[in-house]
Amino acid sequence: MNDALKMQISVFVDGELPENESELLLRRLSQDATLRTQVAQYLRIGRLIRREREIPRMDELRKRIAMALGEQPDETPARPEQSRRRLLKPAAGFAIAAAVAVVALVGLRQTDTPGALEPAESVAASQPSPVPGYTEPLPADALAQRPGDMLTQYYLSHGATSADLGANGILTRLVTLELREGELVEVAVESAGAERSTVAPDKPGEDDGSGSDRR
Amino acid sequence: MESQWLLAVFLLVAGTSTAARDRISPNDWLERMSVAVATTDYEGTVIRRQNGEAQALKVVHKVIDGVVNEKVITQEGNGLEIVRIGNEVHCILPDKKSVLIEQWNDRSTLFSTLPSSDVSFGSEYDLSLVREERVAGRPAVVLAIRPHDSFRFGHRIWLDRETAFPLRTELVGHDGRMIEQFKFADINLESAVSRQSLEPSINLDNFTWYTDPVRVEAAEVETNWACDDLPPGFRVISTRHERLPGADTPVTHIVYGDGLATVSVFIAENEDQEIARRSNVGASTSFSFESGDYQITAVGEVPAETVQRIASSMRLR
Repeated sequence: MNDALKMQISVFVDGELPENESELLLRRLSQDATLRTQVAQYLRIGRLIRREREIPRMDELRKRIAMALGEQPDETPARPEQSRRRLLKPAAGFAIAAAVAVVALVGLRQTDTPGALEPAESVAASQPSPVPGYTEPLPADALAQRPGDMLTQYYLSHGATSADLGANGILTRLVTLELREGELVEVAVESAGAERSTVAPDKPGEDDGSGSDRR
Repeated sequence: MESQWLLAVFLLVAGTSTAARDRISPNDWLERMSVAVATTDYEGTVIRRQNGEAQALKVVHKVIDGVVNEKVITQEGNGLEIVRIGNEVHCILPDKKSVLIEQWNDRSTLFSTLPSSDVSFGSEYDLSLVREERVAGRPAVVLAIRPHDSFRFGHRIWLDRETAFPLRTELVGHDGRMIEQFKFADINLESAVSRQSLEPSINLDNFTWYTDPVRVEAAEVETNWACDDLPPGFRVISTRHERLPGADTPVTHIVYGDGLATVSVFIAENEDQEIARRSNVGASTSFSFESGDYQITAVGEVPAETVQRIASSMRLR
C-alpha cells in the first residue's frame, strides 16, 4: 500500500474525502481484502480518537463502509483485531503483555531490521496524520517491535556486566528490570510443564525481611 | 545584649558551615553521594523520563543489619513490583499473578550505577559544580560531568545539599539533549522507613512463583578479537566467553570502558539469527552487523555513533 493510498484512507475515515473520491475508494474496498483490514484498523483507532472529539459525518461514513464490507456497522471494525488477539493469547500468553510493557516502559527503538521494519511502518501508517490526537498501541504491533531474543540477551548481559564492574552509566538498572520482565514471561510459558518452574509457597517478608536464608 | 551575642555566634557558625560546604570539591561531593546512597533509608516517588515519556515509580529503600531492602512499584501499566531483600529479588507481576525470584549482585540497587568517587574519569570528562536548585522541595547542588567529545554522554546530578543524596539525575547528549532523567518528585530522607512499607503492596496468596533460570555461564578468556578504531579513552575491561540462553554456541563478550561509560561487544558465530542493525533501550544503544562468519553487536550507554564505530572496527587478528 503506497503512502498516497494510506493518506486517502485516513482522510476518508475522517470523513473529509470528497464524495467522488469516496465512491472510488469504496469500490476498491469491496475488491481488496487487505485494504478492508486497513480501514477496519483505522476505524478502531477512530473510535479511540472519538473519545476526545466526534468526527462530523462519521456515523454515515461508518455505515457506508460497513455496507461496502457487507457487514454490520458496529461489528466491522473490531472483528479482525479481536480474532487476531484471541489467536495470539494461547500461543504467546504472557509474552504479549510483556512485549507491551517493554515497549511502553523502556521505549525500544529498533530500526534497519528487514523483518521489523514493516510492522513499524504499519504502526506509523495506522496513525491518521491529518487528525491531531493520539493512538493506542496495538498489542500485536508492540510485539513486532520487541527486540529479538538474542539482542535482548545482549542487553541483559551488558547490563549485568556493567553493574558488576561498577562503571555503568546512570540508572540503567530499570531497563534491565524491564527486559527481565520480558524474560519472566518466557520462563512462565516454558515452565508450564517444564522442570524450570518451581512454586514457592511462602510469601516474602514472613521472616521479617532479612531474606538471607529464604530458600 | 546576651541574645545579640548568641545571634552573632550562631550566624558565625552557620556562615562557617555554609562556607565549608561551599568549599567541597566535586570529587568530594561524589564521595559523599556514594556514602549517602549506601547508607540512607528513603522512600519517595521517582519520575523517570526518556524518549519523551514519563513513568512514575514508588521507591522504598532501607538497610537492615547491613542488608539492602528495596521496593520499587511502577505506578502505571501492569503495576510491576520489585521487592529486593539482600541478593534475592522478587519481581511481582500483579496482572499475571506471578512472581519471579532472581538473584542479583549487591551492586544492583536502584542507584548502584551512579558514578562513584572511585571511578577514574581520566581526561575524557570534566567534573564541576554548576549551580544550586531545588528538587523535591530540597536545596540541591548540581554536579555536571561533561565529556570532551561526542563519543560519550554527559551526566548531571542534583545532590541534596544536606545529605548528598542524588535527588535527580540526567544523562545528557553531546548537544545538551536529555537522554534519560530520574527525578524524585517527593522524597522522605528524615523519617524512619518502616519494615512494613517494604512488604509487597498486594496479597500474593494465589500467585505462582517461578525461580530464575540459569542465565549466563561465563569464563574469562584471551581473545584474538580487537577493536582497530577504539574511541579515545576506552580500554578493554574484560574479555570472556558467555553461553547465553537461546544461543547454540558461546559468544565472545568484550567490555570496553572509559571510566564511566561501558560498551559491550558480542561476537557470535553467524546462526542466521536476525538482529536489528540499530536499536536503543532506554539510554542504551546497539549496533549490529555481519562480518564474514560472525555477527558482531555492540551495546552501551553511549551515543549510537560510538557503538557503531566500535562494532564496525572489530577485527580478528
